[in-house]
Amino acid sequence: MSEILYYFLGFTAIYILMGWALYLPYRVGQLHFLIVACMAITAYFGGFAAREWNWPFVLILFAGIFMGAVIAFVFSMAIGKAPCFTVVIVGLTSVFIIKTIIENWRLLGGTVGFFHIPTVNNLLPIIYILLFVVGFLIYKIDHSRWGRAASVVFVDSEVAVTLGVDIKKLGMFFQIMACAIAGMAGILDAFLVNSLSPEFFTFSMIGYLMCILFVGGYTTMWGIILSAFILQGIPLLFPSEIASWRQVIYGALLVIIILIRPEGLITRKMLWGLKPKVSYNK
Amino acid sequence: MEIFIAQLVSGIALGSIYVLLVTGFNLMLLVAKIIQFAYPQIVVISMYTCWGVLQLTDNKFLVILAGIAVSIILNILSEPIFRKITTTQGVDINASFVASMGMAMVIMDIMSHSINYGFPVAFPSEWVGGNLLSFGLITVSKGQLYALIGSIIAVLIFFYLLYRTNQGRFFRAIAENRFAACLVGIPIIKTSVFSYFIVGVLGGITAILFSMLIGSVSPWLGEFVALKMLAVSIVAGLGNLKGGLVCGLILGILETMAMGYISGSWSNVIAFVVMLVVVLIKPQGLFGSKI
Repeated sequence: MSEILYYFLGFTAIYILMGWALYLPYRVGQLHFLIVACMAITAYFGGFAAREWNWPFVLILFAGIFMGAVIAFVFSMAIGKAPCFTVVIVGLTSVFIIKTIIENWRLLGGTVGFFHIPTVNNLLPIIYILLFVVGFLIYKIDHSRWGRAASVVFVDSEVAVTLGVDIKKLGMFFQIMACAIAGMAGILDAFLVNSLSPEFFTFSMIGYLMCILFVGGYTTMWGIILSAFILQGIPLLFPSEIASWRQVIYGALLVIIILIRPEGLITRKMLWGLKPKVSYNK
Repeated sequence: MEIFIAQLVSGIALGSIYVLLVTGFNLMLLVAKIIQFAYPQIVVISMYTCWGVLQLTDNKFLVILAGIAVSIILNILSEPIFRKITTTQGVDINASFVASMGMAMVIMDIMSHSINYGFPVAFPSEWVGGNLLSFGLITVSKGQLYALIGSIIAVLIFFYLLYRTNQGRFFRAIAENRFAACLVGIPIIKTSVFSYFIVGVLGGITAILFSMLIGSVSPWLGEFVALKMLAVSIVAGLGNLKGGLVCGLILGILETMAMGYISGSWSNVIAFVVMLVVVLIKPQGLFGSKI
């Protein structure tokens, strides 16, 4: 397999995981950017544990997932039921704080970066197996009473409360799941690239993830898969002079999709239309 | 003690810039019902415009005019986009936030590609001005004085417009209850467009004063300032104009105090940690949300 294809498939899978991590809390109307901070923390933790402590990959993976979940749990005690913009600010400031800590911590390489993370054999198949497992879990959640409760909360939180939905617990659940997935994505990213840089975890990444979520469609999990492949492919499909302007393309796509098709490319209505219809004609 | 006073002076000057930013942001939120995340990027473009006009001419009046004009034009150009969002989806602040984030990405990337290859540019020393007062470690530069006086005048004029004029009454009515304002005959769209104009003027003034204060501009400045602006708004309470005044000043002072006593970029972390703690403890803001 060529290197370009290898990294394209690897990064696309990681961005699908991050897109799902953003999708889950948005089911209850929260833009939870803390996932990027969790990804940064677990990525550096994973790289450090592998290089300095020689931990095995499986242990690091589980530790990363656990770490993401714990961080989300601590924050969700306060913001489980918070308004959307409070959650946005908590996420954005957390990303900034974590980035600054990493830049000023020589043990983690500072602004130069963290290198020589050991490689893992057959990483790409492992990434895709994990992707299928997470996708299956999210599909099950979406089609469970939690998913239905989230849909009600998204449309009208007051109606959800009258129907007996505990919005805080639901919000906490989705936030913890999201950060656990982000923790996994951070570990996989560290081992895919074998190096880390604090410049990777910035506003641009947040904008890119929002593009994946809103262009693909925030009402279902499937649009994220489509948009991640398309957006990740832009630098490969276009000439380098145009590909270097990809932030402009992502930003423009975000504005256009909100104006023309706010629910995104793949909507729930579209998926219902694909289901086989029951015919009552004898 | 000298460090404390020196940093306090810097903090008040920097805080006054944050006050202007938050006031413009809150006005858009209250009247147009949008979260304009790209507002600091528009301010940065105005700063670049000031720099460009300064390079071409030495006329300070032209520079000020150009800075304000660019900010007004860009704000008004964004109005149809946000009006389409509110028309098709109802007043949806989430959608406006997402759209404004897209705009911010576009503006930032264009600036980083087209102006000085993305590297910071410095304003001439005649624009920034030298030190007015110097007493040991305590220095007051012309830029700090202009920023403080300019901000005070701008905020006073703004609050006069808001509380003593008919247009201000329209703004407050729409902020209170959009539907009732429409019922009593207040022109919603015209008032909304005028709010973009006012925010554009505020943005231009912010750009001019900010350029005098810091003496340079870079494409990434908008991202940094946007985060602080949003954080101050949330900490004060979304849409709370008076709360924004207090919290903007507090953030400026907190930041410069941290810079004076802590080395490196930890100073920004301190300010953000304080804001994060406040947001976690009181998600509706210290002074209460108005939306």
